[in-house]
Amino acid sequence: MTENTQAAKAAKAPAATFGGKGLNIGIIVAAVVTIAGLALWVMQLSGGLVQTNMRNLDSWGLYITMFMFLVGLSAGGLIISSVPRAFGMEGFGGISKVAVWTSICCTVLAIGFVVVDLGQPLRLWELFAYSNLGSPLMWDIIVLAVYLILSIVYLWATLRAEAGKVSNTALRVVSVVALVCAVLVHSVTAWIFGLQQAHEFWHTALLAPWFVSSALVCGTALVLVVVIALRRVGYLKLDQKHIVKMAKMLGAFVCVDLYFFGCDLLTSAFPGGSGADIVAMLTTGALAPFFWIEVIGCALAAVVCFVPKLRTNPLLVVASLLAIVGIFCKRVQLLVGGFQMPNVALPGPMTSHTVTEWTSGMTGAYQGMVYFPTPLEFGVAFGVIGLGALLLLVGLKYLPLGPVEASR
Amino acid sequence: MRYGMVIDLQRCMGCQTCSTSCKLSNNIPDDIWWTRVLTEGGDFIDTGSGEYPKVSMQHIPVSCQHCENPACVKVCPVGATFKDADNGIVRQDYDKCIGCRMCMAACPYTGVRSFNWEEPKYAMDFQVGDPSVAPHQKHTVEKCTFCVNLVAKNEEPKCVRSCVGEARHFGDLDDPNSEVSRLVREREVMQLLPEKGTHPSVYYLV
Repeated sequence: MTENTQAAKAAKAPAATFGGKGLNIGIIVAAVVTIAGLALWVMQLSGGLVQTNMRNLDSWGLYITMFMFLVGLSAGGLIISSVPRAFGMEGFGGISKVAVWTSICCTVLAIGFVVVDLGQPLRLWELFAYSNLGSPLMWDIIVLAVYLILSIVYLWATLRAEAGKVSNTALRVVSVVALVCAVLVHSVTAWIFGLQQAHEFWHTALLAPWFVSSALVCGTALVLVVVIALRRVGYLKLDQKHIVKMAKMLGAFVCVDLYFFGCDLLTSAFPGGSGADIVAMLTTGALAPFFWIEVIGCALAAVVCFVPKLRTNPLLVVASLLAIVGIFCKRVQLLVGGFQMPNVALPGPMTSHTVTEWTSGMTGAYQGMVYFPTPLEFGVAFGVIGLGALLLLVGLKYLPLGPVEASR
Repeated sequence: MRYGMVIDLQRCMGCQTCSTSCKLSNNIPDDIWWTRVLTEGGDFIDTGSGEYPKVSMQHIPVSCQHCENPACVKVCPVGATFKDADNGIVRQDYDKCIGCRMCMAACPYTGVRSFNWEEPKYAMDFQVGDPSVAPHQKHTVEKCTFCVNLVAKNEEPKCVRSCVGEARHFGDLDDPNSEVSRLVREREVMQLLPEKGTHPSVYYLV
């Protein structure tokens, strides 16, 4: 307690020390949100998933969108900190531990979103007892678990290396393994969707590399935001040149991601037919708002990252947030878009379980977005995010994640 | 042995007797249909397309296609969706299903898989249909079983027996002398979404 009151006093002098009252309030708020989310989840399980807007023809929703999104977000931290080390380049100045910690939190969140999506979470143990190793979902569970463990090992090894207990060579080996695993995580998550011949929109070989590039975009953007914020509140000091370097990387990643999107759109649209319908759905159809927010947001982010005059801290934060929002919009397009075009669209008997807007018939159900979440889904999602925030803040408070001289 | 079904579209009149008898025989909860008769024609069920006198309407009964190369079986992480090695029927183990709905996303045949989005509700307060049907479970996926419980007793699936127009035929596609094999061989047949490479065990006579 004395420590807390001291820290609270110190907080009056801004940008001097980090923590104190603000951090404690943050932790309490996050904990309350988490508990509220848990209560909503129990409600969802007892009353049934019928309280969500997911239905037979749009059987995944916000939770799986968030799962995709958070797997992507988790990339940045680990890659930012392990790439320089793996390739023996100059690093980003002492932010690597914070970066890896954000990765770990995002991975936990991603797993959390799969769990809240399950109808029978109490049967999770079956994943280990009856594993069907041929299922991309099973691959993802394995890779995510390995990724989480590796991230923790990497963080631990970094701390031990700073204390001189682990050699830099060993740390470098761990960073290479973690990097390979990070690329695998995004690929395998893409394969959950990309290996399904049922949905033409998902069924493309480009999906895996594209998931990697999107992950790099939103992951780097998240680290930029976190680092600029932490520098502001005095948790760490960082030379502006590291920020600029990260901004340039972000710009490059954004361009690659947009290039992939362009390639995919062209390949879909050129032959005409159902592929052209997909492009129309994205550019002018039900998903157009998400498409244009992504494209314009990412383009603006790239401009900010590449024009030296615009590379001011507030604008970089805006650019990063635009990139993160853009990638989120992309995840929405992917998930809803996959269900937006049914293979068998013939009218038949319909019930309240068939599709979200079942009363307007098969044609009516697909007029707008086939799926949009209910308040309960937003609540549960908010709760899971609260859990992530709680983890992040508790980590910042109790783990030695700040930079030390040796690691700069 | 690979059980298959041949449905004569020239004989189907869209009466939905297969749908309702299936629902009764399998004690299927409210809001779930394992087999449905769809309409190819207008925007709504039982409506035609075109302008009089050049109009057309075709009914197509659709349920699980019991594919030889099922997309659902491959993706199920726990093997709750599986192909019965003895008879080729694609089955669902409700006790195993974790409710991830991966199979629903993977199946190309829109709407043949149903999820129990809530505790199963029934029109009757007593169980109807065949007592050997597995009980339905909340938050698990279910679908047409080719009446595996009846087939085990050497009976035909309910929809085949109840079809008023005798449009449905059931039998072993691996046996060249079976009625279904003969029909597939001798009549002009069509399959749903052949381009998906799932090799359905349901054929339609056109």
